[in-house]
Amino acid sequence: MLRCWPVLLLSMVAGCGLPLDPEGTSKRLASTHELRVGLTDNQPWTDSTRSEPSGIEPALVRTFAARIGAKVVWTKGSETLLAQALKHHELDLAIGGFDAQTPWVSMAGISQPFAETPDKKKHVFLTAPGENQFILTLDTFLTEHLRKSKGARS
Amino acid sequence: MRGIPERPDARKQLKKAQLLAWLSIAYLMSTVSLLFMVMGGSQALKTELLEDALSFVPPVLFLVSDRFTRKEPDRKYPFGYERAVSAGYVGSSIALLAVGAFLLIDGAMKLVTAEHPTIGGFPLFGHVVWTGWLAIPVLLWCAIPAHLLGRAKRKTAEPLNDKNLAADAAMNEANWQSAGAAILGIVGVAFGLWWADSAAGVLISLEIIRSGWTEFRTALGDVTDRSPLTLDEKEDDSVGERIAERLREQPWVADVVVRVRERGRELTAEAHVVPKEDSISVDEVSRTGELVCKVDPRLAEVTIAPVRTLPEDVAKARQPEDA
Repeated sequence: MLRCWPVLLLSMVAGCGLPLDPEGTSKRLASTHELRVGLTDNQPWTDSTRSEPSGIEPALVRTFAARIGAKVVWTKGSETLLAQALKHHELDLAIGGFDAQTPWVSMAGISQPFAETPDKKKHVFLTAPGENQFILTLDTFLTEHLRKSKGARS
Repeated sequence: MRGIPERPDARKQLKKAQLLAWLSIAYLMSTVSLLFMVMGGSQALKTELLEDALSFVPPVLFLVSDRFTRKEPDRKYPFGYERAVSAGYVGSSIALLAVGAFLLIDGAMKLVTAEHPTIGGFPLFGHVVWTGWLAIPVLLWCAIPAHLLGRAKRKTAEPLNDKNLAADAAMNEANWQSAGAAILGIVGVAFGLWWADSAAGVLISLEIIRSGWTEFRTALGDVTDRSPLTLDEKEDDSVGERIAERLREQPWVADVVVRVRERGRELTAEAHVVPKEDSISVDEVSRTGELVCKVDPRLAEVTIAPVRTLPEDVAKARQPEDA
């Protein structure tokens, strides 16, 4: 219990709605219910050959969108295009088999890992930079997913 | 003992200073690794991390130099090894200035290009908390023990007459300012003010530049044989005048010019003396030398050079009070 109280305290602060998003992503999601996601083809993580994206990551994005009560608006494009769009806050998320060592860290934010491959690569989503409340929501979801999938495997 | 002032408590204080240096190293290891964990995309935390990483240099130099400077003089280095430390400090202060300048530009660029710092979640005991909240206790850990360590170092710097230790102590004591700035930056980010983080980073980099400059001046003064200053470097040290006064009290002395230089924690002095009469006794000169050495516990060596007239350059060093 003693070990728990700082966590409780932090959750309470978080409950006050902090941190805020400088560009208001969370607020926008609450009113428009549209999660703007960019994807680039990188199988088996993402597959954009059909009209409706499929693969590990699109499935995960749909679960996340459902959790926050939003529907996904997909944009297809190259990594460069997606990173630019994230930087200018035209997208909320980008997926395409990115790992934590991605060079796009200078332009976009990086989520917590949702999967670890046997070659020790931590797979992540790219996010619009600095939208910390939204990123925290996403990180919470992805960390939970990672823990569950690890639990299922062992 | 070589390398420390002739004071009864100096040996004890040296032991204490060594202990504090080891303690500083262990403490900095903790702050650097904690900061690394919670750094995220924050410019302020990155700057604080680099500042703490550079803070390793003074305690390490202190411990290394402490062994090195006590080496006996030899044919190659007839004045001993004390000055080697000053050279080390010149190098470390330049590194401090360079890193400070780099971080200043880095932070300023992020402000200009409106880069939004990404600080996400941190998995902790099965929860995910915002990394920014974790950074605040880490920054408090960077500020408070550093302040106490700085105070303890300052107290040992005085009896040891160690300027570099005094400068390091002052920097540690002031570290709460940069940690405080970083906390404000993080709180600003929590309220959606993206610029607060880079602004805090810029403030901290200015702090780094300031410490670099202080250290540079101290070390450079030492290697260029500047006349000694008090430990806080605010005033001229009176030791030269006191030696001159003591010499002028001697019945055989007509005129004198004293030049003092710092050699690590100790002082060495040269006194050019014009005697009243043509012949002087060797005994008298030796006796006076020993007497003058007792003027200040930091004096390791006083050379007395009897001359008919003062050499031109030496006369220029005459203190204005003597004229």
